[in-house]
Amino acid sequence: MKKRYALRFSPSLVEQPIISKLVRTYDVDINILNADVASGRGGKLVVELSGSEDALKESVLWLNRTGVVVSEMVKELNFQEQQCIHCGACTAVCSPKALFMDTSWKLVYDANLCVLCTLCIQACPMQLFSLSHEREA
Amino acid sequence: MAKTVEEINEKIMRGKVVVVTAEEFSHMATKTDLESLAEKVDVVTTATFGPMCSSSAVLNFGHWSPGIRMEEITLNGVSAYEGLAAVDTLIGATAESKFDPTYGGANVIEDLIGGKDVRLFARGKGTDCYPTREIDTWISKGDLNEFYLFNPRNAYQNYGAATNSTSKIKYTYMGTLLPRNSNITYSTSGELSPLLNDPFLRTIGLGTRIFLGGTEGYVVWNGTQYNTTRERNERGIPIGTGATLALIGDAKAMSTEFIRSAYYEKYGVSLFVGIGIPIPVLDIQMAKHLSIRNSQIETIVSDYGVEGHPSVCRVTYEQLQSGKVLLPGGKEAKSAPLSSLSKAREIAKLLQAWIEKGEFTLTEAVHPLPAKSFVKPLVPREGGSR
Repeated sequence: MKKRYALRFSPSLVEQPIISKLVRTYDVDINILNADVASGRGGKLVVELSGSEDALKESVLWLNRTGVVVSEMVKELNFQEQQCIHCGACTAVCSPKALFMDTSWKLVYDANLCVLCTLCIQACPMQLFSLSHEREA
Repeated sequence: MAKTVEEINEKIMRGKVVVVTAEEFSHMATKTDLESLAEKVDVVTTATFGPMCSSSAVLNFGHWSPGIRMEEITLNGVSAYEGLAAVDTLIGATAESKFDPTYGGANVIEDLIGGKDVRLFARGKGTDCYPTREIDTWISKGDLNEFYLFNPRNAYQNYGAATNSTSKIKYTYMGTLLPRNSNITYSTSGELSPLLNDPFLRTIGLGTRIFLGGTEGYVVWNGTQYNTTRERNERGIPIGTGATLALIGDAKAMSTEFIRSAYYEKYGVSLFVGIGIPIPVLDIQMAKHLSIRNSQIETIVSDYGVEGHPSVCRVTYEQLQSGKVLLPGGKEAKSAPLSSLSKAREIAKLLQAWIEKGEFTLTEAVHPLPAKSFVKPLVPREGGSR
């Protein structure tokens, strides 16, 4: 299993050999995709971890314990549902019918059907949709 | 037997009035004859909650000390009209902020109604009686002397549906139109919509009291682009745009539940306005108008990909609400609404409750709206007066 994560380091954490400790403690391979860290100011690593599901889970828990802020890199559609006025404009562009009007003309969003085409982001006159790239891990 | 508005109001005061929503009335009409319905039901509530660009608010700021004659005004960076005496202004819903095209007059109106602080910047040249030249301050609705909505064109009787035949996506005030006629958008609450239930405006005129933005408002004129010459179907429904209303109401008493700003991609800002109109069931003729169903309301689908928006076909709202429409040539287009039917239903029920509780009575029009009016285009010409 492979997963991508963003790891955020505080200035003090940068001084510790965290990545090498991680590899020696857990059975995971690390591919650093992007790195922007510097002594004294902290920074961010984008990494791909590969290993068993348990190994990835343990790694994330360990990183969190050491103080690294870990988020999983996943594209996700966010919908601020409470502010929806149920106009239906977004349903006009949603081909997979992840957004549809129910029988009482209320908008329903079924995330399982979403293909992340992102057309609804522009179509919503209340600007309630956005795409996120990271999720708390 | 015919009823008068006065008789209906007496019933309201006695707590004996029978009020239903237009959808309920249309449903009842499939089971009961119109004569008994006209007898039994006194008032039918209609409503709509859709984007209405021709909306605005009038504000009076009160005088600064020493005075300023405001000759340039912005509210949260959105220009407001500077030509109304010293401290009066009008802010239009579609005016855009100088800094953010997704923020405009509609947002300022919504923010003020929601009780938020709004930044006021004003400049004047400085006169003997108004010496101050510039102010930069904050206001909220409680600070304003007057703050009322004045909407020159709301509650379109009917409106064309939109599609796009080109190979490119079109971002319009009718929403996102996908290429090759893949979708159709329409904006109506259909059989619940106010002016579709009184197609000849027999009971709606100057001075008619209505629900506007969560409080009571009034019809103050015919709306702009008021058109009585549109072809009508056998139920008297204009096939396409028809009558419109100019509305007024106290914005301080309104709610952001029923007034919401909107932004249409690559078009601009607009305002969702909640409107409810009570229609008295005066006689069988009114009962017949009020029994209208979505299958009897028609509109034109226009091609927004082509200059002049030529007509593609004629459809009923029943077809549009089914979610798909078969276009000439055999293409099945997905149809989607732009105006909120669920919110319109909420307004119709709310207005019904106000009337039942005796908090809202009906009005007779002071003057009817024009019986004859059509919409002229702007024709280019050179030179001055002719």
